This record gives sequence, C-alpha cells and structure tokens, in this order.
Amino acid sequence: MSKLEKAYLQLTSAAYNTMPGAPDSRVCILVTVLYLCLLLSVPLDHLSQIIWFALYPVITSAIIGIRYSKIFIASLFIIPLLALIGIFNPIFDTRPLFRIGNIVISNGWVTFTSIIFRGLFALQSVLILIRAVSFEGLCRGLRRLGIPAFLTDQLLFVFRYISVLLMETITVRRAIDSRGYGKKHLPIRLWGRIVGQLFIRTLDRADKIHQAMLARGFSGTLPEGYGVRSKLNSSDLIFLIGWSGALILMRVYNISALLFHN
Amino acid sequence: MHMADALVSTPVALTAGVAAASLLGIAGYKVNREKNVNSKIIPLMGVLGAFIFAAQMINFTIPGTGSSGHIIGGILLAAFLGPWAAFLTLSSVLIIQCLIFADGGLLALGCNIINMAAMSTLVAYPLIFRPIAGQGSSAGRLIAASLLACLVGIELGACAVTLETELSGITALPTSYFLALMTGIHLAIGIGEGLATAAILVFVAKSRPDLLATSGQFGSLSNKNLKKLLWGFGLAAVLLGGGLAFFASEYPDGLEWSIQKITGSTELESSSSSIAGSLEKVQSATSIMPDYDNNLAGIIGAAMVVILVWAVTSLLLRNRGRKEEMNENKQ
Repeated sequence: MSKLEKAYLQLTSAAYNTMPGAPDSRVCILVTVLYLCLLLSVPLDHLSQIIWFALYPVITSAIIGIRYSKIFIASLFIIPLLALIGIFNPIFDTRPLFRIGNIVISNGWVTFTSIIFRGLFALQSVLILIRAVSFEGLCRGLRRLGIPAFLTDQLLFVFRYISVLLMETITVRRAIDSRGYGKKHLPIRLWGRIVGQLFIRTLDRADKIHQAMLARGFSGTLPEGYGVRSKLNSSDLIFLIGWSGALILMRVYNISALLFHN
Repeated sequence: MHMADALVSTPVALTAGVAAASLLGIAGYKVNREKNVNSKIIPLMGVLGAFIFAAQMINFTIPGTGSSGHIIGGILLAAFLGPWAAFLTLSSVLIIQCLIFADGGLLALGCNIINMAAMSTLVAYPLIFRPIAGQGSSAGRLIAASLLACLVGIELGACAVTLETELSGITALPTSYFLALMTGIHLAIGIGEGLATAAILVFVAKSRPDLLATSGQFGSLSNKNLKKLLWGFGLAAVLLGGGLAFFASEYPDGLEWSIQKITGSTELESSSSSIAGSLEKVQSATSIMPDYDNNLAGIIGAAMVVILVWAVTSLLLRNRGRKEEMNENKQ
C-alpha cells in the first residue's frame, strides 16, 4: 500500500468512528491534557515514576474497549525519532547510577530510557483519545470547552477536504507512476507544474464549495451538529475525577518509593 | 521538524502553548474581520490547508543531492491567503497531523505551531518574501523571494527547536553542537522548500496571473532597494558565517559562554530565579524521596505492576469479547 493510500485509510477511520464505551469527548480531552502535563513534568532521571504513568493508557484502552497491544504497536514508530535525540545522553552523561551484575548503568542510559518511555506513553494517550472520540467528536468537544469556532471550523474544513484532495493526489501519483518509467521522485520543475495544476484546481474547487455553502445558508460558522450530549453523566464524572486524582497522586508521590523502598 | 511530546518539558510546552494560542487568537480576529468582507476566505483556507497536506505526499528530487523532499507550505499559503489566514491554516494542518498521523506531540503543539507556522508566515513572509516579491510579476523576484523567505523561516524554526529542547533539559548534547546539527540539516531542507515554493508560484504566475494579482498580498520594493537588500543579506550571511566559525572555535559552547557572562555561572539551572530552578524546587518539595529514583528495584517493581495490569485488562477484554459473541449467537 502506498503512503497516500495508507494516509487516506487512516483519515477515514479517524473521521467518525467512536468507541461506544468512551466517556464524553470533553472529559477525554481534559484528562489527556492533564496526563500529558503531569507526565512531561516528571524529571528524566525519575524513571520508576515515569513507568507508573503507563497505567493510564493500559487501563483507559481497556475501559473504552481497545486492545492495548494495538495501541502499543501503533506507537512504536516514534522510537527512532526519540532515540535520535536521546542517544546523545548516554554519550555525554556518563555518571554511574547503579549496577546490574558487573554492568554499570549510567545516568545517561536512564534518561535515554525515560525519553523513550515518556514519548511512547504520550503518543499512546493521544492515539487513545482520537480512537475513543473520533476527530469530529474531538472538534465538537473542543468547541464545547470554549475553543473559538473559527479554529474548530477550520479544523473540520481542512479535515473534510484532505480526503477529497488525497483521492485526487492518488490519481496524480498513479499517472506519474505509470508514465514515469520507474522514477520515484520528480525533478523540481516538473513537480512544480504538476503540483501547480493541482493547486489551481484546488482554488477553483474552493470557489465551487463557497457557492454551494452560500446556497445552503452558510452564515460564517458551521452548525454544532446533532447527537451531541450537553450534560456529563455519572460515568463521565467518575472517569474525570478518578483519573485526575490518580494522576496527580502518581505525580506527587513516587509509588515505587512507597512500595518497593528497601 | 515536528517535535514529539517527549522532547519538551511541561513549562516550556505550556509557555509555547500560551504564545501559540495568543497568536491564533489574533489570527482568528483578523480572519473574522476579513470574513465579513469576503466570506470566501473560510472555504479557501480549508481547501488550501488540505492541498498542503496532499502536496506533501508527492516528493521531488532535491537538486544536486539525489535525495527527495516535500513541501511544508508556509510561504506558499501566505502568498495567497496573507500572513494571518496562512498562519491559522498551517496551524490547523499541524493539529491534524498531530492528532491523526501522530506527527508531533499534543502538548508540544504550541512549540510546533511557533516553529513551523509562525516563523514562516508571520516572520519570514512579511519581512522577506513580500518586499522582495514585489507585485509578483517577475519570475526572478518570485524565485529569490521564495528561496530567501523559506530558508530564513525554516532556519528560525530549527533555532527555536534547539532552544526549546535545551530549555526543557532533555538532551545532554551541548547547545552549540545541537544548534550546528539542526541548522546544518535544515539548510538543505530550506533550499528544497524554497525551490518547491518558487516552482509552484512561477507556474501559477504564468498560467493564472489573475490569482496572484487578486490576492493583493504582495507589497513592493523598487529594483534599486531590492539590490541593496540582497547585498545586505549576502554580507550578513558572510559575516554571520565567519563570525560564528570564529566564535565556535574560540568558545566551544557559545550559549554557555553567554550565560556565564550574564549570570556568572554556566549552569542556567543554578539560578534560583529561572523556570527550571523553580521547577526543581517544586519537584523536590512534592517528591517524598527524591533520591530514591536511583533505585533499580523501584524501576523493576513499577514495570512489573504495569505488565500485570496490562495482562489483567487484556483478559477482561477477551472475556468481554467472548460474552458479546455468545450473546450475538443466542440472538
């Protein structure tokens, strides 16, 4: 599958599919942001404290009915990017920290591992958020949380037209592949002409969309949509209060210190 | 250049988030004002945002290197939409990239918006592209403007990434090395971006000049002044290059040297008034046994508990799946 087709599939699956067991989108957004703030505020050399934060993606994925292994595998692609920055830590920070048998583990290796773990957990929490509430639900949740309509409308507009333009780009890519005699990338002038054509067609498309929107009574902002819960139910509140409390405790107290201190 | 969450600390991410949100607020105000005059701007921004996303999927060959690259699109968007609408559009593309394709972190979004969207649309476009491009009728001016503006926008972004990572205290890599690494890599990316932006702008200027003219975003700079500006840029580049080389050889870590000059110490953390210093105080105050974290047993214990919880939740999910299957069969 080409990069384009993969992107198209990812987009369509994230569009409207929500998990039935997921809490309200506002609650999911708030808990995810709190989780990220607390996780990223843990110092890098507190590895044991960072590991406890894995409980959030593990338990939340189970609550909303997604297998954690799927989320875990989907998050693995970030490791090389994190390793690229983190690998300098073992090289420059060689202070010995503890010993496993005859091997001395330096502070650099601990901070390197922390970077990888917190990167994985942060990404997993975002993957769970989008799988739980869908992109559409997320934008509506953001609007109900007070984010101005100009931003959420813009997000929904871009999101809707990405799939349309991706389809068009897939056609362009196929044409390039079938006439390109095995050439993967285009010389810059030819690229400019092809993408420039796509650009002009896009501008013309914007004209048509604008006419269609005006014909349907567009007044400047998108309507809020149907089926949006206005009040939070008890399970939403339990999720919000439960996780907020647990995460704050995880950040304030090092649970490893309480349980495994010798 | 997308920064992951793991590469920023909470104070840096939140500060950048507040800055990005303020800029988004101004952009929203400006776009709302324009919307009242021309409501077409809303679908235009949406579709052009989607275009940038789609165009990033077609790679071009970077001349002379044999490698390939894709467009980022800040200057291109600004040339058609104006700086504020382009900033809002590019920011929404970054938010979608973060949420759907996991390109860049959610908490690091503020950093990414500042580094990638603000630097090109709000700094490089009005200060460099607009004066050089003039009315947008000459291909030479368009190419020079695109190249310089993209290069400056991307290099500023690379500098901002270095600053944010260093302030977050993530990497042990000395600042000067990190800065040299980032600006070096992004030099090639900036040139590629400039050429790609120029290729599209020149094509549109030739085939549909009305699109550029009606956008009305190009300011003007006379040929004489343009020459002066280009000479100025050349001179600044030579001086900066030469100066930096001298500075780097004389003082291996330029930023540390500057900090020492200002604070009397090379360690920024040691300053009690710094953000990192105050954060450290909060951390030591909130942590029950701060020194305990060096204990291997704690790390292993935490990992074992997490694995145990994972196993239990997986079993519960499997049972739930089986029960649902049985219920479906009964029905």
